[in-house]
Amino acid sequence: MAHYTILGKDPYWMNFIGLMVLTLIEVVAVGFELPEERIFVFSNYTLMVLTVVAIPKFIMIAMIFMHLYGEKDSGILTVTALFPAFFIIIMILFIGLTHPEATTGLPAWCRPGTY
Amino acid sequence: MSVHDDHHHPSAWGPHDWSHGAPHNSWSPLIMSVGIGIFLFSLAGVYKWGEMVDASSIAIVFAGLAVIMFGLSVFWRQDITFDGAYEPKATGTPFRGIDIRKVSVWIFLMSEMMVFTSLFSTYMRYRFGIESCKSVFESGDWVEGTSVTCFEPAGHLISSSWFHIAPGAINTFALIVSSFTVVQALRYAKKVDIDSDRRTKLVTRYLGATTLLAILFLTLKMIEWFIGFPLPEFLAEYNHGDDMIKSLYAEGYLINAESYQHHSYDTVYLADHGHGLSHDTELYAMMEAGNHSGGQMMANIRVSASTFYVTTGTHGVHVLGGIIGLMYMTFKASRGGYTPENAVSIEYFGLYWHFVDLIWVIVFPFFYLY
Repeated sequence: MAHYTILGKDPYWMNFIGLMVLTLIEVVAVGFELPEERIFVFSNYTLMVLTVVAIPKFIMIAMIFMHLYGEKDSGILTVTALFPAFFIIIMILFIGLTHPEATTGLPAWCRPGTY
Repeated sequence: MSVHDDHHHPSAWGPHDWSHGAPHNSWSPLIMSVGIGIFLFSLAGVYKWGEMVDASSIAIVFAGLAVIMFGLSVFWRQDITFDGAYEPKATGTPFRGIDIRKVSVWIFLMSEMMVFTSLFSTYMRYRFGIESCKSVFESGDWVEGTSVTCFEPAGHLISSSWFHIAPGAINTFALIVSSFTVVQALRYAKKVDIDSDRRTKLVTRYLGATTLLAILFLTLKMIEWFIGFPLPEFLAEYNHGDDMIKSLYAEGYLINAESYQHHSYDTVYLADHGHGLSHDTELYAMMEAGNHSGGQMMANIRVSASTFYVTTGTHGVHVLGGIIGLMYMTFKASRGGYTPENAVSIEYFGLYWHFVDLIWVIVFPFFYLY
């Protein structure tokens, strides 16, 4: 179990409360009609909020509930957990470098109506 | 651990004598692999584009399930006696000194991550590669009575009202709570300063709560996909005047939907319900100029529905797998099967369960809300 605290409290309770609050933000963000304009790399504000909120949720579950933080074997297990990310980056990089159009356009055989 | 001696594990069907080292002679993995193979192979032959094409294969599907259950029963028969007396450690770099079971679970989870990554990348590719139905509708590049191919995210339907969001939102909270309850089960299983009866009671209670939350998750998913739910009359006005929240099935959001219709793609409905068609759209300009007669657009949404059902369905299957495991663990806990010595079994199951929650953290916003 955890050998640390968050703001002096039990980390699992704090994580649980944090996840609940972030999920509430997601649901409320969709309930309110946010602007449809493009912002940074996001096609609209709703997508930006959902992405920005999903990232800390993902990290909180992995780090605290799955013990990728605060245990003596957390380091090597985090590297193990990130291994697929390495493959995914390599895959995307090579596809992007060898077939530049593959990242922006669907080939004809991949479009609806051809299967 | 005392002596490595396989002679103390005479049966490959269990139970084992764990005090004599790790057993190597279980048939369980082989039986389950065969069962899963039979199940998936026969299931693939039963349906084609949502239509049942070979009812005779259903018997083989159930035979596959029976083989899986038999394999599980062998595994459980062997595990039920596991008291933590023997916990093999990795000896090689880089995992030296870490429980082999823990490393195995993490490697399994990473293979799972690759599976879900392929599903997410497929979704993203199609989502951004095929023009959305909303864009097609507003462009006016369609004729009533003829189906157009476009991407219709399930989120458009689900996030159209609070009531449609409700099952998915409740499920999200249910999974987070269940992640917490499984951590609590581990906490009390590891506690050394409580008597064993109280430990048994608390671990059983928390694992049981996790099981119920997982069952709630799948129940709400079934309601959302196939059943729907009624609304009190006074709430109907917030649901376009309809006193029933229809399931995705009843809404026609199906993998074989070639002529999907939705009220937000109907110029008559939009005109009748106050807000009307946006004046900024090309369709509005075309209708004003008399170049488009309006009406209701029909869409071929097979790709979008398939990506939605395959991804959320794969996640649902993982929840189902979790329920089966949790039922066994709750049973074992109720017999006082978890102690500080073998509590890590709950931790290793918890890793899987948190992973299922982790996937939902991505699925919910991007498949249900966006």
